[in-house]
Amino acid sequence: MRIQRFTLALALLLLAAAVYAVFDFKLYPASSAPEKTVTLLLKSKNIRTDYWQTVSAGAEAAAKEAGASLDIEGPLQETDADAQAELLEAAIDREPQAIVIAPIDDDRIAQSLQRARDAGIKLVVIDTPSKLKPAPVSVSNNHQEAGRQAGLAAARATKGNPYVAIVSDFPDSVVSAEREKGILEAVSSDPAHNAGTYYAEDAEEKAYALVKRVLARKPGLNAVLALNEPAALGAAKALKEAEVTNRVTLIGFDSSIYQIKLLEDGSLKAIVVQKPFNLGYLGVKSALRLIDGQKVKSTYIDSLIVTKDNMYTPENQKLLFPFNQK
Amino acid sequence: MYFARGPLRPLFPLKSIQSSISVAFSCLILVTIAVTSLIQFRLSVDAVEKNSRGYIEEVIKQVNTNIQSYVDNMENISLLAMTNKDVKYYISNNSFISEEERRPYEKRISDLFQSILYTRKDIASIMVFGYNGRFVSDRRITSLNPNAKVEEQPWYRNAKNEGGKSVISAPHVQNIIQNEYRWVVSLSRELKNTDGITADGVFLVDLNLSVINDLARQINLGKKGYVFIVDESGNIVYHPQQQLIYSSLRTEHIAEVTTAGSGDSFTVDDDEGRRFYTVQDTNFGWKIVGVAYAGDLIGYKSTLRNSILITVCGVAVSLLVSVFLSHRLSRPIRNLQKTMRMVEKGNFDVKTEIGQMNEIGQLGRTFNMMVGQIKNLMQEIIETQENKRKGELQLLQAQINPHFLYNTLDSIVWMAEQQKHEEVVLMTSALAKLFRASITKDQEIVPIRVEIEHIANYLLIQKMRYADKLNYELAFSDEILPYRTLKILLQPFVENAIYHGIRNKPEPGTVTIRGYATADAVVFEVEDDGLGMTEVQLARIWERQVNPDPGKGGIGIHNVNERIRLFFGPEYGIRIRSELAEGTCVSITIPKVLD
Repeated sequence: MRIQRFTLALALLLLAAAVYAVFDFKLYPASSAPEKTVTLLLKSKNIRTDYWQTVSAGAEAAAKEAGASLDIEGPLQETDADAQAELLEAAIDREPQAIVIAPIDDDRIAQSLQRARDAGIKLVVIDTPSKLKPAPVSVSNNHQEAGRQAGLAAARATKGNPYVAIVSDFPDSVVSAEREKGILEAVSSDPAHNAGTYYAEDAEEKAYALVKRVLARKPGLNAVLALNEPAALGAAKALKEAEVTNRVTLIGFDSSIYQIKLLEDGSLKAIVVQKPFNLGYLGVKSALRLIDGQKVKSTYIDSLIVTKDNMYTPENQKLLFPFNQK
Repeated sequence: MYFARGPLRPLFPLKSIQSSISVAFSCLILVTIAVTSLIQFRLSVDAVEKNSRGYIEEVIKQVNTNIQSYVDNMENISLLAMTNKDVKYYISNNSFISEEERRPYEKRISDLFQSILYTRKDIASIMVFGYNGRFVSDRRITSLNPNAKVEEQPWYRNAKNEGGKSVISAPHVQNIIQNEYRWVVSLSRELKNTDGITADGVFLVDLNLSVINDLARQINLGKKGYVFIVDESGNIVYHPQQQLIYSSLRTEHIAEVTTAGSGDSFTVDDDEGRRFYTVQDTNFGWKIVGVAYAGDLIGYKSTLRNSILITVCGVAVSLLVSVFLSHRLSRPIRNLQKTMRMVEKGNFDVKTEIGQMNEIGQLGRTFNMMVGQIKNLMQEIIETQENKRKGELQLLQAQINPHFLYNTLDSIVWMAEQQKHEEVVLMTSALAKLFRASITKDQEIVPIRVEIEHIANYLLIQKMRYADKLNYELAFSDEILPYRTLKILLQPFVENAIYHGIRNKPEPGTVTIRGYATADAVVFEVEDDGLGMTEVQLARIWERQVNPDPGKGGIGIHNVNERIRLFFGPEYGIRIRSELAEGTCVSITIPKVLD
C-alpha cells in the first residue's frame, strides 16, 4: 500500500501544481500589464517649451524600456503654481505607484507632496528641489558644476585673468544661486576677478541696461556670465552696441534659438547646456527602481559646454536642437 | 574472494499487483508526457523564434523599402534638376546672364522647385548652389545664414568630392537658411556642365527627418522593440534613445550590426533580456536594424504555459485514474487473498465473493469448490479417527471383559473345590495364555496361528465352563497359516455365538470355526447352531451402537466390521447369515497379508 500512497501523493502534488499554475496564470498578466504606473508632472506641458518636451521624451523612453505606463501632466505656463498644484492633487487621487515631479516653488506643492508620500506613492523630484522634508529622491542638473564649467571657460577665454560680471535673475533663485556659486569656485570671488552679480529679473532690457552700466563703470571687464536667456540676450546687445564683443567673453546658459544664433555669430563664446532628455529618463528610471523596492540615490546630471566650433557635432546638435514629435 | 550472494532483490519491492500496476502506469504516463512536452516545447520555441525572426525581417524590409522610396524620390528630384536646362544655364560658368536676365531665371527655377515641394510633404527644401556664386531655392526670397558658410557644410564638401554621384547625409540640423534650424537628411550632388566634365555647382534636397522618425517610431516590434539606423561606418543615424547613447547611459550592439550582412539576424542575451536583431542594408549605405524582445512576443509564453498546464492536469488525472483502475482490478484478488488467509488459519466455513466471471472470478469459484472439498475430507478423517479410537477402546474392553474373568475365576474356584486339579491347571493355563495374547499390545496385526491359538484357549475355557452344553470345532486350513490377521478378530463372534446363540438353547450347541483361503482372500467363518435371529434382529445388529452396553460383553458387530474396513479397505468385512432356530453364520473376509 505504500507505493499507492506515493502515487496518490504525486497526483495531488501535480494537481496542486496545476492549480498554482492557473492561479499564477491569472495573476501574472494582471500584475504585469498595467504593472508600474508613473505620473510625470512637469512645470509646463506646453509643446513650445522644448526643454520640457525633451524631458517628456526621455521619460517616455524610460517607460517604454521598462514596459511601464506613464502619464505626463503639466500646466501651460511654467509659473502657474495653482495649475500644477491642482494637477498634482488629481494625480494623487489616481493613485499611481510613483510620481515624478518638477515642482514649481510653492508651499501648496510641498503640502500635496506630503499627502502623496502619506498615501505610499513613491516620489522623485526632478530639475528643481522641493520644499518637502525629508527631501525625496531627486534627479537634477548639477547647476553648480555647470557654473564651474562656465567659469573655467571664461578663465580660459581670458587667458587665466578673468574679470567677471554675473547677470542673474533674482537673488532668491535656487538655480541661479548654485550657478553663481560654481562660477565663483572657478573664477574666485576676489574683487580683482569678480565685478559683482547683477539681478536682471528675467528681463532682457534690464540686463541690457545693467551690462551697459557695468561696462561703463568697470572698463577692465573681460567676461560676462549670463545665468539665463534674457540676461544673455540683453548682455549680447549691450556688448554689440559697445563694440566690445571680441574683447568681452559672453557665456550663457541653456539653449534657445536666439542663443544659438548668438553663438553662431560669435556674440556668445559658449553656452552651457543641460541634458533634459537624460533628466526625464533618469527621473522615471529612479521612480521605477523605487517601485521595485530598490534603494535609490539622488542623481546629478552634468551639463555640457558648447562653443561655435562644436555646436554641429551629432551629439551637440541633439542637445541644442531638440527634435520633438509634434 | 567470496561474495555472499542472496537472491536478487528488486529495487522497490512491490507488495501488491495494484502498486505494480499503478507505478508502471504512472512511470509510463510520466515519461511519455515528459518526452512529448519537451519535444513540443522545443519545437514551439523554435517555431516562435523562427516566426518572429521572419516577422521582424518582413517589417524591417518594409521600413527599408519606405526609406528607400524617400531617398529614390530625392534622387529623382535631383535628376530633374540636373537635366533642367534653366538650372544648367543659370549656374553655368560660361553663361553670360545679366542682372536683369537673372530674375526670370531665378523665378522659373524657384517655381519649378516650389511645384515639386507642393507635391511632396516630406521634402523640406530644394536648393542649388552654383560655383559662380549664384544660388536658387524653392523660396522666392531667401537669405542665407551669414554665419554658416555653404562651402564648409559636410553635404557640400562630400558632393564635391564624389563628383556627380549623389550623397546622402546623416540626419543633421540644416542651418544654411537664416532663422531656420530644421532636422533633415540631405541628398546632395554635384551638377555638371553640358559637356559632362566641368562641375558647375551643388544641388541639395533636404528630407524632413520627421518622416524617417515617424516611420521608425510607428514600427511595432512588441512593447519594447524598436528600430534604429546606422550608416556604413557604424555611426548612429537614428536611434530612439540616441541621447542616452551619447551620454553613455545606454549601449547598442553596433559592432555586430556593422559586420552583419543584409537579411542577417542575430540574438543578444544580456541583463536587458533576450532579443533578436535583424539587419537590412539599403543601397545607399545605411543599415536598418530591428530589435525585438523575446519576452515581448505575445502569445509565446502564454501558449506554452497553457500547453504545459494542460499536460500537468492530464498527468494528474491519469495518475488518479490509474490508481482507481488498479484498485478496482486488484480488489477481488485482495478479497480472495483475505479468504485464503482465513482458510490458512483453519476456517473452512468461508466463501469468497465472486464478482464478475472473469479470470479472477473463475479463480474464486474454483477456490470455493476446493475449500468445500477439503472441508468434506477433513470431516471424514475426523470421523474415521474417532471410530478407530472407539473400536480400539472396545477391543480393549473385550480383551479384559471383567464378567468373563469373574466367571472363569469362579469356575476355577469351583473346580478346585471339586479337587479337579487337572482341569484347574488346564483352565488356569488357558486363561493365562488368553491374557498374554491380549496383553501383547505392540502389534495390531498378528500371525493367524496366534489368533487360532487365542481362540482355542478361549474356547477351551468356555468349554470347561459350559461343559456338555457347548461343543466346538476348529477347522483351519493350513494354507492360511502364513498370513496375518487382526488381533482378537474372532473372539467377539465366538462370544456372541455362545452367549446369544447357544447359552439360551435348551439342548447343547456347537460352534464351528473355520478358516480357509480363497483366490485372493482369507475367510473365517464362525457358525453356531443356536437360536438364530429374525430379520429384524439381524438388521438391528448392523445399526450403529452408540452406547454399547459393556455389561453385555457385546462388541458391536458394526464396530468390528468398521475396524476391518479401516484396516484393510472397504472391500473386506463381515457377512452374516442367520435363520431363526437354525443358527447363525458369520463370515469374515480379510486380505492375504504375508509377514
